[in-house]
Amino acid sequence: MTAGLAGFSGASGAGADAGRGWFPADAERHRRDAPRYCPGCAGPLSLADGGQGLVTEYWTGPDRVFVCYCGACGWSGDIVLAGRVIGHEAAE
Amino acid sequence: MLTAEQNDELTQVAAGTPMGELLRRYWYPVAFTRELEEFPVRPARLLGEDFAVFKTPRGSYGILPEACPHRRASLTYGVVEPDGVRCPYHGWLFGTDGTCLDQPAEREETNFRDRVRARAGQAQEMGGLIWAYIGPSPAPLLPRFDVFVMDGVRDIGWTDLPCNFVQIMENAVDPHHTEWLHGRFFEFMARHQGFDAPPSFGKKHVKVGFDAFEWGIIKRRVVEGASEEDDDWKIGHPLVFPYNMRVGGANVEQMQIRVPIDRTTTRFMLYTVHAPEGIEYPDQPQVPDYKIPVYNEDGRHRVDYVEGQDMMAWVTQGPITDRTVEHLGRSDVGVTMLRKMFKENMAAVARGDDPLGVTRLPHDRIDLPCEKNKFDAGTSFAIDFIDKASSRFSPQADALKKLHIKAQENRKAAAG
Repeated sequence: MTAGLAGFSGASGAGADAGRGWFPADAERHRRDAPRYCPGCAGPLSLADGGQGLVTEYWTGPDRVFVCYCGACGWSGDIVLAGRVIGHEAAE
Repeated sequence: MLTAEQNDELTQVAAGTPMGELLRRYWYPVAFTRELEEFPVRPARLLGEDFAVFKTPRGSYGILPEACPHRRASLTYGVVEPDGVRCPYHGWLFGTDGTCLDQPAEREETNFRDRVRARAGQAQEMGGLIWAYIGPSPAPLLPRFDVFVMDGVRDIGWTDLPCNFVQIMENAVDPHHTEWLHGRFFEFMARHQGFDAPPSFGKKHVKVGFDAFEWGIIKRRVVEGASEEDDDWKIGHPLVFPYNMRVGGANVEQMQIRVPIDRTTTRFMLYTVHAPEGIEYPDQPQVPDYKIPVYNEDGRHRVDYVEGQDMMAWVTQGPITDRTVEHLGRSDVGVTMLRKMFKENMAAVARGDDPLGVTRLPHDRIDLPCEKNKFDAGTSFAIDFIDKASSRFSPQADALKKLHIKAQENRKAAAG
């Protein structure tokens, strides 16, 4: 999961805690892949784009889940970057 | 994982920032009642601002910015009078509403006095604490949560922690940590340091759940050997938005308070009421407060008690945890829910609405849901709570244990 610093563009602006271990490739992928516009109103989600939303990423199995909230219209939901398509309901 | 900008926004406390404006819609404890009985004015820091909090001889409480509007000397050295507090430097007198009532060196016939006003907050006493509101008017009501007004024997442990309050609040929606930090880790340290770890904390979590409700988020869990019919799931206990967590069980009722003193300092308070049935409670003219230890003499965290373990986990994340390099999993959905709740309520404040948990409805007491049979551990939880958690540092720890044991004997005797 860790990646070399060579893969880090610095675009996340993070790394304040880099001395204790950090993951530039994951941070970079988060910035690249996090949904930028609200599925409800098409307004920008990220502060960097002038939006007032929040996108928190968590991982489950091979999937990356973005928990989204749009401050403009109030829409909220999860957007999943699915690693694979599963045809049955996951066990609780 | 968040972007750096989102993390920055989430962890601000300053006025003018979305989070700072949200946090200024709530009441916070800023002093112990006994402190103003011992001396009627003292400093208080809240949300990155410095204040003088005081009690007049008439019994009114006030909170004003520390710097006198005249030439910025500290009002925390003020002379407290029946009408307010007088600056020690040139004697300007301010009422609890911030009105300038006297400027001894200025001529009486000028209106200078009327043109100067301190930006006053509001202060009230409840449950052995002085509470302050420093946000815009009209102030909401001070919420009278059950723990602060119920009968019982009170006890307040506290310390100041060098980290942002949000990473502490995220712990309040993270049930799984209990099983590890207070279970396996506790047992590991006990084995190496030669003490007993309580078995009730180490039970495996089978299921966790989170429900938003009118005061925050109810956290639920099913531990191994229990079911959805047990209190931990059926009732759960709440994160009380935005800075408290209600917890308890076995006749111990507690509010864990996390006051954002500034961006990287949080006052952690454990406001506990021991309220076993079947016994008369002794009078408490003053609520005892005591500082709980964070570090050992070698500078490492003291982790031989429950809250010491929590504080280690919060503080070692750094002054502001860098959420651009975290890796959340499915078990962290409570954390994602809390962040969204903060953001939703920043938006509510920006719209001019009251955020979650602000109340303007008169009330005597707000009862919060909280399990009674904690971790399916029965009454042994109360003794574990005193022996293995912060209450062990209380000056009345032994008396509290006797209170629970005697009450249990009385209940047994009454039941025949």
